[in-house]
Amino acid sequence: MDPGVRLMDRVRARDASAFEALYDAYHRLVFGIGLRMLGDPAMAEDLTQNVFLKIWTAPDAFHGGSFVAWVSRVARNRALDVLRSRAAHPESEVPADLPLDGALDDDVLARIDAQRVRDALAALPSEQRALIELGFFGGVTHQELARRTDTPLGTVKTRIRSGLRRMREALGERVSR
Amino acid sequence: MNAPSNREAMLESVALYALGVAPREEAALITAFIANDEEARREYLQVRAAADALAHLADEPVDSATSARMKERLMHRVRADAERAPVARIRPRQAYPAMLWATSLAAAAAIVFAVVTIAQDLSLRGDLALADRRITTLQARIAQTDRAAVQDQRSLTRTLTDLFASDARRYPVAPGAVVVRGDHIYFAFSKLPPPPKGHVYQAWTAAPASKSMAPSVTFTPNADGVAVVALPVDAAKVGTVAVSVEPDGGSKAPTTTPTFVRPLT
Repeated sequence: MDPGVRLMDRVRARDASAFEALYDAYHRLVFGIGLRMLGDPAMAEDLTQNVFLKIWTAPDAFHGGSFVAWVSRVARNRALDVLRSRAAHPESEVPADLPLDGALDDDVLARIDAQRVRDALAALPSEQRALIELGFFGGVTHQELARRTDTPLGTVKTRIRSGLRRMREALGERVSR
Repeated sequence: MNAPSNREAMLESVALYALGVAPREEAALITAFIANDEEARREYLQVRAAADALAHLADEPVDSATSARMKERLMHRVRADAERAPVARIRPRQAYPAMLWATSLAAAAAIVFAVVTIAQDLSLRGDLALADRRITTLQARIAQTDRAAVQDQRSLTRTLTDLFASDARRYPVAPGAVVVRGDHIYFAFSKLPPPPKGHVYQAWTAAPASKSMAPSVTFTPNADGVAVVALPVDAAKVGTVAVSVEPDGGSKAPTTTPTFVRPLT
């Protein structure tokens, strides 16, 4: 099981040591998302504290499933809030927290590490890779992606869909080994 | 939405949504499409898994001073909290709101952010006692707002989970589908025209083997014709659902020909 899930059970019971363990295990991920999306270490630090304080004050917001996926979405949403506060930033929508039955199961998602994901991403054509990475960490809509990469909107959509499907296949193959 | 070209475009939009680059105003439409279309649901689960995995790319070392500084501030607050009265674990179940797209999460985030900022500013000056007092003042506001936010988020998550579940029963109707899972009934409409000015749509339910319609919630679709509605009724006690156009505020009995009447069999 995702270790974050077990720790969250104890955080709900107001176990400060479990919260400390949760911070130790996941603050790099949250800080890294903040740094990539906001581009500023001080803002990433604010975001990290914001996210973990939210975890402590409202642990019931986590409904189970993959903790990594959930805390990543929380961090991305917080970063989007910051980006939205900047002038005229377009609004994209991080998907709601949903169970992923039938896709990569939670344990598998917890075991995947950065190198596996980098490998899967590196195997994509460069134009797909750039759009997916910028899309995930850029906090922008696909229209903005099209503008920034000077790519037709329809092409952006097709490349993102194809790239994600290929990534899923690549991750699935690795997992089944 | 069901024409082949539109379907393909919508399936591409599902990938955009999974990656988090779909515009906010399109999210409800995409969600309703996923809820109403088995292929879209499978597509979403596949691409969403890949998108979730991308977060691992950000898992990189943080310099030790930053890491320790963040931890010290957080743990100061957390340990103080843990020593205070424990949080109540059991909350009474509340009825789902009829329309599920509103949220108080933004307000909650703003308050939490204010607390963190205060704590950081003051702790930098070594005045943690003052920080604690100000945090305590805001804590009540956080608790109040968080309760509302958690409830909203829970309702939304529960609804989306039910809508996408493989074991949900789906009953096609002209504007979309009626979805039943467990004791919950939802409308997931994506093609509902706007009601006439001064009117709303109203849901109706009838018990199994009964022809008597009981009034339920009123709702209006968004500009794209999308409405996701949770009926505040136990599905086991409902044999038929219907929707009609009624004056603002709803009616005690249908006053117009129903948009649809759908037995749940």
